[in-house]
Amino acid sequence: MPERTKKVLPNAHQAPLPLDRLILQETPDAEAVPMDVLFVGGGPAGLAGAIALAKLVKADNEAGGDLGDVQIGVLEKAGALGEHSLSGAVVNPIAMRALFPELKDKDFPFRGSVGGERVYFMTGSRAVRIPTPPTMQNHGYHIASICEIVRWLGEKAEGMGVNIFTGFPAASLLTEGQRVIGIRTAPSGLARSGDPGSGYAPPTDITAQITVLAEGTRGTLSQAYLEWQKISSDNPQIFALGVKEIWETLKPLDSVVHTLGWPLPKDCFGGSFMYPLSPNLIALGLVVGLDYKRTSDDVHEMLQRMKLHPFFKDLLESGEMVEWGAKTIPEGGYYALPKRRHGDGLMIVGDSAGFVEVASLKGIHYAMQSGMFAARAAFDALKRKDTSAVSLKEYDAMVDGSFIVSDLRRRRNMRLAFQESNFYVAGLKAGLMTVTGGALPGGRIESHADADVEREATQPDPFVPDGKLTFSKLDAVFKSGNATRDDIPSHLLVGPDIAPEVADLYAHMCPAGVYERDGERLVVSPANCIDCKATDVIGPRWTPREGGSGPKYRQM
Amino acid sequence: MANVFAFVESRGTDVRKVGLEAVTAARMLADKSGGGEVHALVIGPPGIAAKAAQIGQYGADVVVVVEHAALTNYSPDVATATAVERIKSGGYRAAVFSTSAQGRDLSPRVAARLGVSVVTDVLSFEIDGDSIVVRHPMNIGKVIATIAIAGKPAVIAMRPNVIAPAQNAKAGRVENAQPAIDPASARVKVIETKVGGGGKLDLAEAPVVIAGGRGLKAAENFKLVEDLASAFGNAAVGATRAVTDDGWRPHSDQIGQTGRLVSPELYIAVGISGAVQHLAGMRTSKTIVAVNKDKDAPIFKVADYGIVGDVFEVIPALTEAVREAKKHH
Amino acid sequence: MKIAVCIKRVPDMDVRFRIGADNVSVDEAGLKFDINDFDVWAVEAALKLKDKNAGSEVTVISLGPDVVQETIRKALSMGADRGIQLKADKIPADGFPIAKALSEELKTGSYDLILFGKMAPDSSAGVVGPMTAEFLNLPCVTAISSLEIADGKGTAKRELEGAQEIVEFPLPAVLTADEGLNAARLPSLKGIMAAKKKPLEVKPAQLPPAQLVVRKLELPPERKAGRIVGEGAAAVPELIKLLQTEAKVL
Repeated sequence: MPERTKKVLPNAHQAPLPLDRLILQETPDAEAVPMDVLFVGGGPAGLAGAIALAKLVKADNEAGGDLGDVQIGVLEKAGALGEHSLSGAVVNPIAMRALFPELKDKDFPFRGSVGGERVYFMTGSRAVRIPTPPTMQNHGYHIASICEIVRWLGEKAEGMGVNIFTGFPAASLLTEGQRVIGIRTAPSGLARSGDPGSGYAPPTDITAQITVLAEGTRGTLSQAYLEWQKISSDNPQIFALGVKEIWETLKPLDSVVHTLGWPLPKDCFGGSFMYPLSPNLIALGLVVGLDYKRTSDDVHEMLQRMKLHPFFKDLLESGEMVEWGAKTIPEGGYYALPKRRHGDGLMIVGDSAGFVEVASLKGIHYAMQSGMFAARAAFDALKRKDTSAVSLKEYDAMVDGSFIVSDLRRRRNMRLAFQESNFYVAGLKAGLMTVTGGALPGGRIESHADADVEREATQPDPFVPDGKLTFSKLDAVFKSGNATRDDIPSHLLVGPDIAPEVADLYAHMCPAGVYERDGERLVVSPANCIDCKATDVIGPRWTPREGGSGPKYRQM
Repeated sequence: MANVFAFVESRGTDVRKVGLEAVTAARMLADKSGGGEVHALVIGPPGIAAKAAQIGQYGADVVVVVEHAALTNYSPDVATATAVERIKSGGYRAAVFSTSAQGRDLSPRVAARLGVSVVTDVLSFEIDGDSIVVRHPMNIGKVIATIAIAGKPAVIAMRPNVIAPAQNAKAGRVENAQPAIDPASARVKVIETKVGGGGKLDLAEAPVVIAGGRGLKAAENFKLVEDLASAFGNAAVGATRAVTDDGWRPHSDQIGQTGRLVSPELYIAVGISGAVQHLAGMRTSKTIVAVNKDKDAPIFKVADYGIVGDVFEVIPALTEAVREAKKHH
Repeated sequence: MKIAVCIKRVPDMDVRFRIGADNVSVDEAGLKFDINDFDVWAVEAALKLKDKNAGSEVTVISLGPDVVQETIRKALSMGADRGIQLKADKIPADGFPIAKALSEELKTGSYDLILFGKMAPDSSAGVVGPMTAEFLNLPCVTAISSLEIADGKGTAKRELEGAQEIVEFPLPAVLTADEGLNAARLPSLKGIMAAKKKPLEVKPAQLPPAQLVVRKLELPPERKAGRIVGEGAAAVPELIKLLQTEAKVL
């Protein structure tokens, strides 16, 4: 008699967000570093915001304004800017142009303009070219490495006198009543036991009149703030996991390529992308919704299998994989936006707020633009000496009145349709939405948080990587540049009673091999973690750890 | 036709292998430039003079011996002054040193005093018209540079183990000489040379590294690894983080991203699965051998040669075979 | 004490390098740069001495284009007091002119101690420290793994192949730092803030002509794919044969 298939509900095994650690009602340390405006996260949103604010302050001072010296800080958990940044990426230059009106597109750190573009529907053996959907047309946009963009923005910011603190993760929000008054960093040099070890550096407090959370996807403090302030959204935020590789190839690629279909199961949302950073340097990735249906669904492995398809194999086979990484993407869109993205002394920008438009696969220009709006709101608040929620409300108003929200609203149901239908029906609905500007079908489609999607406990088809075209997770993590010391205490909060099938879910969910099932037991290797945050979405909670841990991306 | 100078490194009254390599390299250079003489300098305590004949065997036409009771330990000031004095008076085309801890210290000082550049870690050399052209690894061996040396004499320091000492008997005329400065006047004084634990080689410098992992199952089984190392004779013993964490080996033996970085000629991984952090510490080794019972262990991905099998069976057999091979070497 | 530390900006080595179009330089596109690790230990050694000797001053000096200011700031954020950039279009591949230019600067500073990293991973030469010492006619101890300074003289340990030397030297002196000398502190937030306000002087580097000419750079031959020689002790003879005839390491 075949056993009834076991089901796993990720949510039932997830530890709650440790609010008591993330939101502190404490007086900042007497040695606290005072900032006026602190951006938490040195990605496109935080850096664009810091630069925009520095420009506003400079212009004001030159015009004889009364602001004087405004200390702007950017806090980044990676050891150097860009090392934790990963994106496709095809970039809409609109925000870059707005931030640097004095520069031309050729001055920006882009690799090249999008030449041709092609979309294919894949089967196990064939690739059928299909018309490029209007949402995926990228003419006039630029291929770029987000690492390079971030490093470039960092230099601009430093040049403008912004304080950039790399290697300092924000571990907690410091609060006073309902007001956010700064952050406390994570300590470093803890031994595995959690006690101070050699090279211990204690946490540092940073106070700020305004704290801007620009943590990127699945920001821990952003989540904590929303939960603490009980700020809701129509739908829960949902995520996809993207696994990406950079290949040096002998054969050139001249256009942007997207594929749909195989190797994804029909009930998974996602697709692949392939962008030439230069003709022989190719960014290749696979993005899959974390609402997939089986414990054995494994995005890293899907990407590995995908490369065996002649369509990819012909291009890659003679080349070499030089870099690997992964990151989640907030895909909930319009209905998943928090009702309020500001509060007393606080704003939330970029991916942390969910400003990603999944149908066009874009987020960088929304992130930058939201950071720039936050800069404007911060500047106005400093000018009127009122950094309360009432004053910072201006930020939400600017976002709501901008292309950020109108773009997301136009494609508001596109991703959600996939959660409630299978691929083909959803494709049809998506097509309808495109022609009707998002109006059909009907109103808001309700969605479930990824952790509330039940998974069937299944066993995977065995897959043995060859180490040339396909890679194990261990090899992959190596290519992420991850050199986290291996005696670091675990930053992952594993729930109680992890059954073997839950361990299976975690092992397949994590692209970096942090989780392994060893017999009946879950084995956790926290040093492997590359901060993609998938674990925080459907597995053990991710919390901030020692600065400089995690990947060291170069051109992701 | 031009003469070449060689500095013969010694420790106590022993000539080191790298010293004979320098003589061999100098001989090759002299021969390539039309057959000049090789003049070798050796400095040490009383007893070092007895090694002159050996140095002649390896191709020195003249062996300059500086024997002094105060020179049991290396004296950078005396060695620099004495080498400089000899090189200046000899009109050499080139001066050859070793890229050992001592040679790294000495060769740049000598070059600076001669007013010329130096290339350390030289892999090979040739004569191209008026220049001596050498190959030198840059970027921790990930790039190889071909460098033309304009200065005269060309000062080079050979990387250990790239040129095997070759017997090529020459006259080896002994010239006894005095230190160029009184050793008592030296500013920098080596007051002691401690030979580490029974001649144990340092991990970072050993040409062969044998490393053990959890697959050895217990601290006492590291005996297998030590036996294999002693069969090689020129091997150091390392370990993985898991092993040092468990206290089977001292932390100073740990190879990996968070431990020592090694890049030997031969690296043998015994019962090591190949965690990322470990691979980061050894993957630049020239030849990697892995023995592990799990055929899917990641270590096999980086290994040049792998044996799938029980370390308790394979390693003793390998130790025996290495001993046998060394005997006939 | 007046202490100088000479530091170098170097690329991260954890990449596959590409040779530039000129064939004599490394393509810097996509490379990440930071202060040389050995130099970090030298900076730490200086800061430790400063912590112990009130009134000490630590000066960091770096030769190169303006981007080295970032490297200097890093050392300042660790706690060094002031920086000097010896400005040059690029960092020469030959250590001789670098040592000359550094010694021209250092001789004006009457330092008690001048520290270097024992080598930089990019040039992989390790000659600038001892050459500078010679040009300054100062005692020099290279590749030290421990350091004690007391009563105007120092004691250091050097790691040799399978041995250690204990070395005594008078001050002023030049030392180069090896791995194991110390565990370097990370810059603190306050240190990073303070570094922005510390003096950083820019002077032209007095570089004599190089004597070494890089004719070409190339990548070492590709590593051949590994293979499983066999199973169990029976595979040992084949392995020995391969080590002797193919790898030539036995």
